[in-house]
Amino acid sequence: MITMRDAFFDEIYKISQIDRDVMIVSADFSAPSLNKFVKDFPNQYVNVGIAEQSMITLATGLALEGKKVFVYAIMPFVTLRCFELIKVDVSLMNIPMRIVGVGAGFSYEESGATHHSTEDISVMRVLPNLTILSPSDSIMAGEFAKIACQMNTPVYIRLDRKILPTIYRKGTNFSDGLTKLKDGETYIIATGNMVHRALEVSEKIGAGVIDLYKIKPINERLLLDSISKAKRVVTLEEHLLAGGLGSIVAEIFTDNNVRIPLKRIGVHDKYYYLYGGRSNIQSILGLDENSVTKTITEWVK
Amino acid sequence: MDTKELEKKVQYLRNRVLNMCIKAKTGHVTSSFSCAEIMVALYYGGILRYDVSNPKWENRDRFILSKGQASPMLYAVLGDIGFFPDNEMDKFCQADGIFGVHLQCDVKGVEITTGSLGHGLGIGAGMALAARLNKKLYTTFVLLGDGECYEGSIWESAMLAGNYELKNLIAIVDRNWMCATDFTEDCVRLNPLDKKWESFGWEVKTIDGHSFNEIFLVLDRFRTRNLNKPLVIIADTVKGRGIPFMENQPLWHGTAPKDKDAELAKLELNGERK
Repeated sequence: MITMRDAFFDEIYKISQIDRDVMIVSADFSAPSLNKFVKDFPNQYVNVGIAEQSMITLATGLALEGKKVFVYAIMPFVTLRCFELIKVDVSLMNIPMRIVGVGAGFSYEESGATHHSTEDISVMRVLPNLTILSPSDSIMAGEFAKIACQMNTPVYIRLDRKILPTIYRKGTNFSDGLTKLKDGETYIIATGNMVHRALEVSEKIGAGVIDLYKIKPINERLLLDSISKAKRVVTLEEHLLAGGLGSIVAEIFTDNNVRIPLKRIGVHDKYYYLYGGRSNIQSILGLDENSVTKTITEWVK
Repeated sequence: MDTKELEKKVQYLRNRVLNMCIKAKTGHVTSSFSCAEIMVALYYGGILRYDVSNPKWENRDRFILSKGQASPMLYAVLGDIGFFPDNEMDKFCQADGIFGVHLQCDVKGVEITTGSLGHGLGIGAGMALAARLNKKLYTTFVLLGDGECYEGSIWESAMLAGNYELKNLIAIVDRNWMCATDFTEDCVRLNPLDKKWESFGWEVKTIDGHSFNEIFLVLDRFRTRNLNKPLVIIADTVKGRGIPFMENQPLWHGTAPKDKDAELAKLELNGERK
């Protein structure tokens, strides 16, 4: 098993052997698979240094001249640090740029709150024209590299930093935007690494699980069809509740007059300096297997 | 065009901008006036390559107006040379018009949307790097405000362009010595501005930005420059140049004169000037 970013850049490497317009602009951030790319395609790689504004503007200029550009950094910095530049250059001008962030949720477990990414979904999803992809395993991350390369509008891809178990078979088609992994009376909708938590919880309580990997635009019709027989819906995210996955589902329910009871589980309105591993952080915040199971079981009663 | 004709063109365009802003009751008149000669030299003086009938011609020189508040002057130029019907100027900021106070990329002849400062230099660096990679011979020009040089992103991009020796990138700083509310040296000191650029790896030239002779001299044979460095031209200018009572007055930033002031502005612009 490999990390999402290695799966991602392995695919980019393959594409770049044929397509010499692919470029990676990094803000001083690496990956083993990226090193191979840098060595073999030096003219297709720019390390701008720790300068995210320069990264976005340079990439915009390259994209305007026909380059297929990926920008790459740790998640809070590739999104929030240069947010207004993404707004104007990428979203407003609707430029095909692939924004790749590593470190969803608490995956930088030992790095503290500066490196946690618990607001990127809320922040990025407000941008018009932008697609958001949130893979739950490295197979999907690799497929997203191919999809992103072919897009002619901007896309933000949020990768987990950790090696996660594989859910999907190689070659799976991810064009639907979501996958129903399990059936049940109560459905858990999750994204990224929390899909694995949902699957664990499902083993205990027999819940249905939906992997919502395309966060924007949402395949609303398929989502609503998938939960049409649900008695309850739970959203589960390693992300702030404000504006995150739960908000998205709640908005869809409201807009479509869906009356299914909805419970949001995620990070409350607070930052945390917590250490001792991701599982420790999650258990303190009620996102570990036992806590999530308990929260849902009590809610169902 | 010879210098005399260029002077006439500048006078015509300043009037055009003043009138469209008076009519719209808004627009950055003074910011547009400080860079009028620069834009006229670029577009009418044989510096920029462009094709009015093919705005996205791949070999065109890229001109980025990074100080997007000077859009009235660029729109006036682009309309005058025929990128779009010249009467669009009469619809500046109007419901039936195609543009407003800041610069929009969907207007023919415009490369990028600006208005938020600090974007243009980095995008220009990307275009210049792409030219090198794609083996294209166009030059990328970026017109910056001096107040815009407060933006940290400018210096991130300046450092990158210097490091990559982007000799096909030319920045022009409209050094009118003012930001929105104050004089730059009384706000946060920008000088020594030339030394700053120089230390970031740029060739630096300082000129009188209202002198066609100096603009043409500094851009003489710019396509075959020897130095492997990007070039920055610090163009010393006067904010509001051409209307004495509006020159160097912070309160005239971003506003159009109205009523009596509008009449006075028209008179002064077209009166004798020492």
